[in-house]
Amino acid sequence: MKRQYDDTFFYIAPSEPPPSRRPPIVEVGPIGWLRRNLFSSKINSLATIFTGVVILGFLYMVLSWSIRTAQWAVVYNNLRMLTSGTYDRRETWRLEVVAGALVFLTGLGLGIWARVARSVFIAVLVSLAVIIIVPIVSAYIPEPTIHILLRPSKTPPNFVFVGLAGQEVTVRLEPQTDPADVDAPLLGFVEQKSRVDWSTLARQVHDGKADLADYNMQFTLRVLDNRLRPLMTDEGPVQAVFDAENPGGTLTFTLPADDWYVLEVTRDDTSEPVGYAWLRIDNVEVFSSQEDLAQRRADRFGDPPEVDNALFAEEKAYRFEGARSFKQFLSLQLAPLFSRLAVPLLIGALLFVDGWVIGVLGKADKRVRRGALIGWALAFPFSIIVLRGFEGSRLLPLVDSGQWGGLLLTVLLTVVGITASFPIGVALALGRRSNLPVVKWTCTIFIETVRGVPLITVLFMAKLIVPFFWSALTDIDLTVRMMIGLTLFSAAYLAENVRGGLQIIPKGQIEAARALGLNPFLTTTLIVLPQALRAVIPAIVGQFISLFKDTSLVALVGLFELVGIVGLIVKGQPIYRPYQREAYIFVAIIYFVISYAMSDISRRLETSGAGSVRRL
Amino acid sequence: MAENQAEKQNAEEPIIICEEVNKWYGNFHVLKDVSLEVMPQEVVVIIGPSGSGKSTFIRCINRLEEHQEGHIIVDGIELSHDVRNIAAIRSEIGMVFQQFNLFPHLTVLDNITLAPRYVRRMPRRDAEEIALELLDRVGIPDQARKYPGQLSGGQQQRVAIARALAMQPKIMLFDEPTSALDPEMIKEVLDVMKELAETGMTMLVVTHEMGFAREVADRIVLFDEGRIVEMGTPEHFFTNPQHERTKLFLSQIL
Repeated sequence: MKRQYDDTFFYIAPSEPPPSRRPPIVEVGPIGWLRRNLFSSKINSLATIFTGVVILGFLYMVLSWSIRTAQWAVVYNNLRMLTSGTYDRRETWRLEVVAGALVFLTGLGLGIWARVARSVFIAVLVSLAVIIIVPIVSAYIPEPTIHILLRPSKTPPNFVFVGLAGQEVTVRLEPQTDPADVDAPLLGFVEQKSRVDWSTLARQVHDGKADLADYNMQFTLRVLDNRLRPLMTDEGPVQAVFDAENPGGTLTFTLPADDWYVLEVTRDDTSEPVGYAWLRIDNVEVFSSQEDLAQRRADRFGDPPEVDNALFAEEKAYRFEGARSFKQFLSLQLAPLFSRLAVPLLIGALLFVDGWVIGVLGKADKRVRRGALIGWALAFPFSIIVLRGFEGSRLLPLVDSGQWGGLLLTVLLTVVGITASFPIGVALALGRRSNLPVVKWTCTIFIETVRGVPLITVLFMAKLIVPFFWSALTDIDLTVRMMIGLTLFSAAYLAENVRGGLQIIPKGQIEAARALGLNPFLTTTLIVLPQALRAVIPAIVGQFISLFKDTSLVALVGLFELVGIVGLIVKGQPIYRPYQREAYIFVAIIYFVISYAMSDISRRLETSGAGSVRRL
Repeated sequence: MAENQAEKQNAEEPIIICEEVNKWYGNFHVLKDVSLEVMPQEVVVIIGPSGSGKSTFIRCINRLEEHQEGHIIVDGIELSHDVRNIAAIRSEIGMVFQQFNLFPHLTVLDNITLAPRYVRRMPRRDAEEIALELLDRVGIPDQARKYPGQLSGGQQQRVAIARALAMQPKIMLFDEPTSALDPEMIKEVLDVMKELAETGMTMLVVTHEMGFAREVADRIVLFDEGRIVEMGTPEHFFTNPQHERTKLFLSQIL
């Protein structure tokens, strides 16, 4: 039936369109976002809750382990090894000069050509502040208790420590007579051998093979200064006698000066000693075992006193037992790390800001721009020359590249790999699309061959097989051969990424360029490549990130980069063997931070300039 | 039709001479014995059904396509495999495409100044001055710093015209310049082309815009199945077509 021409058939809109209104409140803002994204349906809500629980649980486990249990001394006592490997210790200033120059140039370049996002700026500022504040604050956090087990079979130790004027130290002697004592948790530093003996004893008590009830040991505690003279107060020497009538008790004393002290423990037994007692020392710092810091300690406190049967309040003699509190985590774990990082980072930040300010102010000045370009062009040869030095030179003695390791080597392999493989990869991609069959086949065969074998075989080839075929290459040192191997490997993958970009450039672009009279070279460099490369930025940066991570494989052919150096640290210092986990986690954090920074830069590149506009 | 051309021909030589041009795509014979002479300042509109070879023909004139038989002589230079000839000819011919083909990674200003700077080696400042004048001429002086993706289709096509003009060509080729545009934007592009024709530019225009052909063309050429079917003034074409194919074509589009 045909429709009637009633009032609803015709409609003429008012001449003004209605004003735009806001969307309903539940659809926008954080609530709207939650509704739409996390709780849009029953299944989605369940998934949200389930995933949330899993993530929170995992985070709790990781954080709780890092704060309460993990021992990060392997990291903060080996920062030099981690950053530069076996690079000559006296020459590390060269590394600092290079790093400083690069940081300055980075600041300069960013100041001239880029904008530093506010979020990045704030993040860096906050991290710097934390790194500076934590060591300062942690000075006010009380030191954990030091435990030393006094046993009948051993001569009690003379405990040697450093202290500051006015520091109040408390020493407690606690005989262990109740069988339940063996199960009481220890909290704080426990002397290594005491720890072993105590757990052996605990096992024996549980098995009924040992009894704690008898205790007859007698001790005298005295405090000596650095020349082994008894510490005197107005009431006489500082000492406590723990005899048969009062087997346990406390000795509290205040230190008169910044100096070394000795807590002398003497056995006064009248008969065969029986029993066990804990000597607990509060408010004494356990100092670092790191050699670099020993010199600083000697400068401040002088040489330690020489005393028989000495037990130093030194890190490597103790192990932290029990769950640390967050405060103890700050003062024992983070503060030592941060206090070592603070000064270099602060200097780095100052250099960066210097460069940045010069860059921002001199943006319009041709000389500043040219200076920055020249600086960057010279940065690489300068770095290599300074790091390597010359044979026989006094100022810059040769440091063979075989000694370069740690983060230095990782970064070097990555930077060389990226800068060399990028042009090669682009050339291979263009070559593979060439009209000349010989060029095309050569490139294709190279790309497919390299892509068809694992990186580790390429690296072993570079190490073993290539010099075998071509003896001239044996003289090139291993580091350079690894750089070549990584570069060629990365170039082959890069070529395929770039080729993907080249393929999406519409034919019309090339025709338009040709119609304007651009020759093939200009068409490629001005029209095709800029668009093709921009289109595949994520893939290219992805390739660079995997190159960065793949540098860890050179550890397998005998170079000590970031991963390899951990093995070397543990091998050289057996006290850190139980803490490899911490070292590898720290290395993983470094890898993550750098990789994340790279992918963040890639995202910013994608959306800069013409990338902010939708494609034609 | 010869009388109507008389004033323009005078003593001048044709600027484009095509003689018996033949072209194949594989076995497919796209252009069959196409001969056409274009005088300086002449506006030739080429019409015809899809696939008739009209686009291929004008793309042969600046060597985006190669012809296999016959001769094409532009401004006294014969198109051959000689690379120098091609470069010389391309810098004298501007081309505007159906899909604009602006360079999306460059700003409007850079799109226009690119060829003068890199092909003509013109200093950046001079090239930008010319570019801004051209943008003014095509009616979008305020879009210079934008990227093509931020412009409407009509604006993009006008930038494309400005880009071609920046090389100060003697000849302009238009390959269906309004076919990819929304109806509301066609007129702004046609107006620019009309203005260009009035300044005496030699133009070859492939189009379906009959209104434009009737108003601006000195001569209309109808292509069908790779050959020229009929050629004449707009008046002749629209009032007194001779060939059956022409009559059929016009009856279908008018």
